[in-house]
Amino acid sequence: MKFSLRLATLGAIFVAMFSVLGLRLWFVQVAEGAALAQVAQELKWESRHFEAPRGDIYDRTGELLVTSRYVPAVEVDRAFVTPEQRADLIQRLSALLGVPAAEIDAMYEAAGTNGRFTVGVVSTTTATALATRLESFPGVEIVKQPERVYLTGPDLAHVIGHLGLPTPADLEANPDLDPTVRIGQLGVERTYDEYLRGVPGTWEYRLVRGEVVESRPETPPKAGESVHLALDLELQEVVSKALAEGIELANEVKSAERAAGEDVYSEAQRGAALVLDAQSGQVLSLVSLPTFDPNVFVSGIDQETFDELRDRRAFNNLAISGLYPPASTFKAVTYAAAEQYQLPLPENGDGVDPVNRTVHCDGQIVFDLADGSQQVKHDWYTGDKGWLDIHGALEQSCNIYFWSIGLGVHQNRARLEGNVLQDFARDLGYGPATGIDLTAEASGTIPTPELFEDWKEFQLANPDVPPRLEPSRLDLPGGPFLGGDLMDLAIGQGALTATPLQVAVSYAALVNGGQVLKPAVVAEVRDSSGTPIYQHVPTVERTVEIDPGVRSSLLIDLGRVVNSGTARAAFVDFGPGVEDIGGKTGTGQTTPNRDNHAWFTGVAPLSDPRYVVVVLIDEGGSGGRVAAPVARHILQYLMGNEPTPIVEGEEAD
Amino acid sequence: MATIARSAREAVSSRRGNRPDWILFGTMALLALFGLLMIYSATRAGGIVSMERQMIFVVAGVLTFLVTSQIDYREYRHLTPYLYGLMVLLLAAVFAFPERGGARRWIELPLFDLQPSEFMKVMMVLAIASVIAPHSRDDDRPGLSWPKLVLVLAATTLPAALIYLQPDLGTMLVFVFVALAMLFAGGATWRQLTAVVGFGAAIVTFMFQTGRIRGYQMDRIRVLFDPTIDPQGIGYNLAQSKLAVGSGELFGRGLFQGTQTNFQYVPEQETDFIFTAVAEQLGFVGGLLVLAAFTVLVWRLLLIAANGRDRFGALIVVGISAMFVFHVFINVGMTMGIMPVTGLPLPFLSLGGSSFLAMSFALGIANSVWLRRSPVPGENYVV
Repeated sequence: MKFSLRLATLGAIFVAMFSVLGLRLWFVQVAEGAALAQVAQELKWESRHFEAPRGDIYDRTGELLVTSRYVPAVEVDRAFVTPEQRADLIQRLSALLGVPAAEIDAMYEAAGTNGRFTVGVVSTTTATALATRLESFPGVEIVKQPERVYLTGPDLAHVIGHLGLPTPADLEANPDLDPTVRIGQLGVERTYDEYLRGVPGTWEYRLVRGEVVESRPETPPKAGESVHLALDLELQEVVSKALAEGIELANEVKSAERAAGEDVYSEAQRGAALVLDAQSGQVLSLVSLPTFDPNVFVSGIDQETFDELRDRRAFNNLAISGLYPPASTFKAVTYAAAEQYQLPLPENGDGVDPVNRTVHCDGQIVFDLADGSQQVKHDWYTGDKGWLDIHGALEQSCNIYFWSIGLGVHQNRARLEGNVLQDFARDLGYGPATGIDLTAEASGTIPTPELFEDWKEFQLANPDVPPRLEPSRLDLPGGPFLGGDLMDLAIGQGALTATPLQVAVSYAALVNGGQVLKPAVVAEVRDSSGTPIYQHVPTVERTVEIDPGVRSSLLIDLGRVVNSGTARAAFVDFGPGVEDIGGKTGTGQTTPNRDNHAWFTGVAPLSDPRYVVVVLIDEGGSGGRVAAPVARHILQYLMGNEPTPIVEGEEAD
Repeated sequence: MATIARSAREAVSSRRGNRPDWILFGTMALLALFGLLMIYSATRAGGIVSMERQMIFVVAGVLTFLVTSQIDYREYRHLTPYLYGLMVLLLAAVFAFPERGGARRWIELPLFDLQPSEFMKVMMVLAIASVIAPHSRDDDRPGLSWPKLVLVLAATTLPAALIYLQPDLGTMLVFVFVALAMLFAGGATWRQLTAVVGFGAAIVTFMFQTGRIRGYQMDRIRVLFDPTIDPQGIGYNLAQSKLAVGSGELFGRGLFQGTQTNFQYVPEQETDFIFTAVAEQLGFVGGLLVLAAFTVLVWRLLLIAANGRDRFGALIVVGISAMFVFHVFINVGMTMGIMPVTGLPLPFLSLGGSSFLAMSFALGIANSVWLRRSPVPGENYVV
C-alpha cells in the first residue's frame, strides 16, 4: 500500500471517529435533548437535613450544665430501596435494632417516596455491627445524631427543662421547624429554644431512578448558641439538699406530733426554694421537689416512668407554678401599705389604740359583724404578748394587729381610694405572673370585691360547677366580699394565693426601694465565638412608692423577726452577722384536714439587701419550725458562714 | 544535475520560501481563545484566577509554537535518543513527589506543576518516527522490518509502564493509539499489526491474571454499560455530565447560563469536562463548531503529512494528528457517556499548562514540517 493510501485510510478512520461524536452529540442534545432538559427542569429537589447540635448551657460561673454529643443513629433513605427489598429490609432492621417491624413500616410509609427517616439512636456496638454489613441493608445509613446530655441530673431539671417533638401548635407557629427534630418543651430549653436550636445543615439533590444526578453544595449544621444561666450550680446544690432535708425535718416533726397525740393529716412531699438577686431580679437558685432526671427524656421516656413521675407531680415546678396562700410572709406587704398610707386602725374595737397605733395581742380579737352580731377570731399563739405596735406585731407575727389593719381598712373603705391593700399587693407583683423566662408560670389570685362579684355571677350562671363562694354570700346586700375577707387578706390568708416566686419578687421590691423586677434565670447568651448576643439587664416592671423611712423600718423589723422574733430559734446557729439577716415566717392554712404550708422568706444583708430567699414546704407545718431552718442554712452559705445542720426551729406562724 | 539543481533553486526563490500554515495556527488560536472564555464561564464563581493562569499558558504556548516552527524538525532525529532518555527520567521523577487525588503525575516546580506525561506523548511521536522512517536514500525497501517493529514496541512499552504506575490509564491508551496509527502509516503489514495487537492483548491478559488491573479502572469501563453500579461515584459524574449536555439542546442555554455547569454540579468542568460546559451553554451548534475546529486541525495535519519533504516529517505529523484525534474522541465521548472517564484533557480548551504547552509544541513541529516541505511538486521523498 502506498503511503498516500495509508494516509487516506487513517483520514477515513479519523473522520469516522469524529462522526461518531457528532452523531452522539445529535442524539443526546437534539433527539433526547428535550427529554433530558425536561428531566433536568422537572426533577424535584430532594433535601436532606443534618440536625444541629443544640447550644450548651452553663451556670453563672461557667460550669457546663448541659451539652450535646453525637451518637450513632440508623437512617433509611427510601430512594435507594426498591419495592421488592422493602419487606425484607424492614424485617432485618427490626431483628437487628429490636424495634417492632410494624413501627418501622409505619415510619417507612410516613417518609413518603424518596423520603428519609430515622429508625432510632443505636449503641456503638450495634452501629459497628451494622456498618460491616451495610451492603446487605439497601438505603440504610449510619449517621451521627446530636443527643442532649444533662450533666447535673435532677438538680436543675425544672429550670433547664427538656426536649420533645414539636406539637402541632409549635409547627403552626413556626413552619420552619422540622417535625422530626426535638425542640425545647419546658424551662430554659423552651424559652431560649431559638438561641439553642442552631441551624440544621442541608444537602439538596435531584434523583433520576435512584441516581443522584444533580446536587447543591452541602451546608454543614451550625451548633446552637450557648446559654449562661444566672444560677449558681453550687448554690443550687446547697438549696436542693437543704430543701430535701427540710422536707425530711417536717416529717420528723410530724411523727413526733403524731406520737404526742396531735392531729397530723399528711406527709410532706413537696417543696420549693429560690434565691433571687434583689437588685437585678436574677434568679440565683430555683428548686422544686420532687424532681426528676431530665436524661430520662433523652432517648424517649417509657410510659411507666412517665406515669410515676407525673403522679408524684415531679414535673411541676412549684417555685413558679405552685399556688399557696402566702400567709404571714404577706404581713410585710400589709405592714408596708399600713406604714406608707398610714392606714387607720378600727375606732371602736376593744384592745385597739388607733391613736398610738397599738393593739393588744392577747390571743383573740372580738369585732362586730355587718348584722350587728359579734365574732371572735383566735390568734395562733396562746397567752398574752401585751400591747404591740406594728414593729412588735411583725416581729411576733401577731395576727390580731394585722386583722385590725384589715378591719380598719374595711371600716374606712368609703374614704380610702380603691382597694388599697389589694392594689398595693398587685403593684408589688401579686396576682398576674411575674413574666420569668421559664415556662408554665402560674398567676396568683388577689381577692377583691370586683373579683368576688365576678365569681358570684359565674356561680349563679353555672350552678353545676363546684362553687368558690359559700352560697350564703350570694344573697348579701353589700355584695359577696366581706370585712372578714379583708382581715384574712391582711394576714395572707383567705382567697389570696401566690407562687413562691411572686413572694420573692414582692420582697425584693420592698427591700430594694420599690422596684418590681422581672425575674430571670438566664444572664447571657453567647455565640460560637464567645461574643454575647443577649445580656440580661434588670427589667423594672413598676416602681412602687415606698418611703425610705418605711423601707428602713421594715428592714429593721425583718431583722427583729430573725434575731428576737418568730425565727429566732431557727437562726440561733447562724453565726457571725446574724444581725444583718432579716426574714419572715409564714404558716399557710389550707383546707380542713390538711397540714399547713410552711413558709420562710429571708433577706440579706439588711444593710444593703442583695438576696431574697424563699422556702416553702408544702404541708410542711409551721414556718418557723421547718422552713426557717432551711432558709437559715441557705443564708449561711450565701453570707459566707459554714452552713449548720437543719434542725427544728420554734413553732410560729 | 546542475540544471535540475538550478531549476530547484529558482523554484524556491520564485516561491520566496514556504509560508507557515496560517489555517493551522488560526484554528489553534481560536480554540485557545474559546477555551479561555469557557474556563471563565466555568470558574467565574471563584474569580478570574483560573482564566488568568490559562492566559499565561496561551501566551507561552503561542511562543512555543513560533519558536518550534523555526527549528528544523530534522534536528530532532539526532537528538531523539537523548531527549527520550531525559523524558523517561522525568517520568520516573514524579514518584518522588507527593500523591494527589490518588495519583502521582506531577513534578512540583516553583511557578507551576509540570506533568511530564503530556510532553512524553510528543516525545513518543518523535521516537517512533525516528525508528521507522528510512535512514538513508538507500533504505527504500517497502514496508517495515521486524526489528524496527520490536524497537517501536519496546520504546512504547517503557514509558507506558511508567505512566501505568502513576496511574494514568488514559495517557497510556494515547500511546497505544498513536503507535498503531504510526505503524500503519509507516508501512506495517496486516500481519505485523496483528502481532502488535496480540502483544497488547497478551499484556492485558497478564495484568488481569496477576490482578494488576485496578478495580476502579475496570469500574470506569463497566459503568458505561451499567450506570447503576455506582450511582454516587463514577456514574454520578457521567449522569450529571450527560444531563448537562442534553439540557443544552440545539442552541444551548446561553453563555454563562448553564445551571448545571455554572453551579458546579458537574465536577472538573474547567478541565476534563469543559466540553460539557460548551454543550450545555452553546448547545449542539456550539459543540459541533468545536468538533469542526478539531476536524480542520486534523485535516491540516494530514495535508502536512502528505506534503512532507521526507518520511520522518510525515510520520511525525501522522502521530500528532492521531494524538489529537484520540484526545478529542475520548474526552468528548466521555462527556456524553460513550467513553470511560479518564483524565484526558481536551486540547487547547481544558485548563492546564503542561497539556497546552505540549500540544503547542506538537503543532509547532507540524508547522516546521510544513515550512520545510518540498519546494518542487513531486520531489517529496528526500532524506
